[in-house]
Amino acid sequence: MISVENITRRYGSFRAVADLSFEVARGEVVGFLGLNGAGKTTTMRMLTGYLPPTSGTIRIAGHDVLKESLAVRRRLGYLAEGVPLYKEHRVIEMLRFQGRLFGMGRREIKRRSEEVLERVGLEGRARSLVRNLSKGMRQRVGIAVALLPAPEVLILDEPTSGLDPVQRVGVRNLIVELSAQRTVMISSHILPEIEAVCGRLIIMHQGRKVADGTKRDLLLREGGSQVRMRVNARRLEQAVVQTYVRERVPKGELSIVRADDEYVITIQTTEDPSRELGLLAAERGWILRQLTWHEASLESIFGRYTTGRAEAEGLVGA
Amino acid sequence: MRGTWTIFRRELAGLFLTPLAWVLLVFAVALNGFFLIALLYNSNGYVDDSLNYLLGIGGSFWMLVMVLPPLLTMRSISEEAKSGQLEFLLTAPVTDTAVVLGKHFAVSAFMAVMWSCVLAFGVALELLGASPDWGQLLMGYVGVVLCSTLFCAVGMVSSAMSSTPLLAAFLGFIFNLVLLLLPVGANSVGGEVGAWLTRYSARLNIGLHLQTSFMRGAFDTADLFFFLAWTGLFLFGAVRLVEARRWWS
Repeated sequence: MISVENITRRYGSFRAVADLSFEVARGEVVGFLGLNGAGKTTTMRMLTGYLPPTSGTIRIAGHDVLKESLAVRRRLGYLAEGVPLYKEHRVIEMLRFQGRLFGMGRREIKRRSEEVLERVGLEGRARSLVRNLSKGMRQRVGIAVALLPAPEVLILDEPTSGLDPVQRVGVRNLIVELSAQRTVMISSHILPEIEAVCGRLIIMHQGRKVADGTKRDLLLREGGSQVRMRVNARRLEQAVVQTYVRERVPKGELSIVRADDEYVITIQTTEDPSRELGLLAAERGWILRQLTWHEASLESIFGRYTTGRAEAEGLVGA
Repeated sequence: MRGTWTIFRRELAGLFLTPLAWVLLVFAVALNGFFLIALLYNSNGYVDDSLNYLLGIGGSFWMLVMVLPPLLTMRSISEEAKSGQLEFLLTAPVTDTAVVLGKHFAVSAFMAVMWSCVLAFGVALELLGASPDWGQLLMGYVGVVLCSTLFCAVGMVSSAMSSTPLLAAFLGFIFNLVLLLLPVGANSVGGEVGAWLTRYSARLNIGLHLQTSFMRGAFDTADLFFFLAWTGLFLFGAVRLVEARRWWS
């Protein structure tokens, strides 16, 4: 649905996005993650055709964003950062304006307006002036406006920024509902937002893509998860544990530390092997003191990628 | 065309929903009303000259036509670029030309509404028994609207090239001043340069094109073409500048 090939965007001598490539399939929900200034908004603007890339090509639904700009824009719903609505208008007027821009008929606009307002939970606010709405409501109006022409691709730039936690959850739930039917790209610098909504993440740092994949892919690639078992045993045959781990926990990295009659067994791995280790302890008659699984979080991965270490270590995904 | 019409409607509604437009409208109507009374009084009730003075002859007209368009057009592109609304429009399925034309037509229509107060004065005088020369008055009105449209196009250029509305208004004002004073000022420059300037700037003499035909109640296609061509040229520049904004911003 979206195909981005080696796009670079410069502002004078500053390179905001560098050699970025990715593909997004129909129906996929992709989160764009990065610190402020990572190049997320620039990328989003290039996807919509608002900013032309300095080099590279973008195709949406098979159309070149620059050469067939209008064909692309007809398929696109875009909520820019800061929700730029005409504040002097009523909600329904804003929706009508959007409908007319997309060449929709009067009846269709009326029907779709009712649908999208219900969708975003603003049924009773059609006659409200945009300037009188709270920030959260305005955000929802922005989403309703973007949704009105039933776009195939929805691009939302920081849709939850500046909202209070309750509003944030509301907008997040809305996005989850919407994502069932269309291709969605969302940018944010707030990790839990993206984690809750997106099946796939693209992490940007200083204009470059430093990671791309599902949460699981990234966790697998990055590692950092481990199981820790503390047992009391008179004698612990390390060879038994090693064999057991090799058979049951492939790719696990084992370490055993002894302190008197207590052993601490740690396995760095991607899958939780607590059950197997518990069974082993029971089988061998060890007294189990502690068995914990610590899963690496996206925060730690995000932190690593955005400090630039990831690139140096060759962890950049496909 | 659909995009232009859609944007025109929104812009015009938007203009009338802002206090600035109403303030300017009231100011212009009050100023014209004041001058009309003063002119009628001083000319011993000479209706046609008084009305003509308000349309395209007098200083109040040139002041309004020089100052108001930049104040109206400063919002159109410059302010909307700042607030993000331009991004909304330029990612909608309408061309950049439609966006610029829609906005320009809206501001021009506002100016046309503003000048219609002079027609209203004409009606009032007619009702009071002093009938104006309607042919001349209506032709004058058409000329004045065409002239305002040209200045609005200049305003669109300054709005498209400025990063802040204030700068847009200021630049627009300067452009208008240069446009009006160039033919007059060229005479005072001596030598070959002066002669060259005089010859070419005479072609840009807006006042002359307005006053020699429209203000006399005559319709000259050359003058019509003059206003349309220059308006088109400035609008073409504004569209190109909006496109160029995509590269700067």
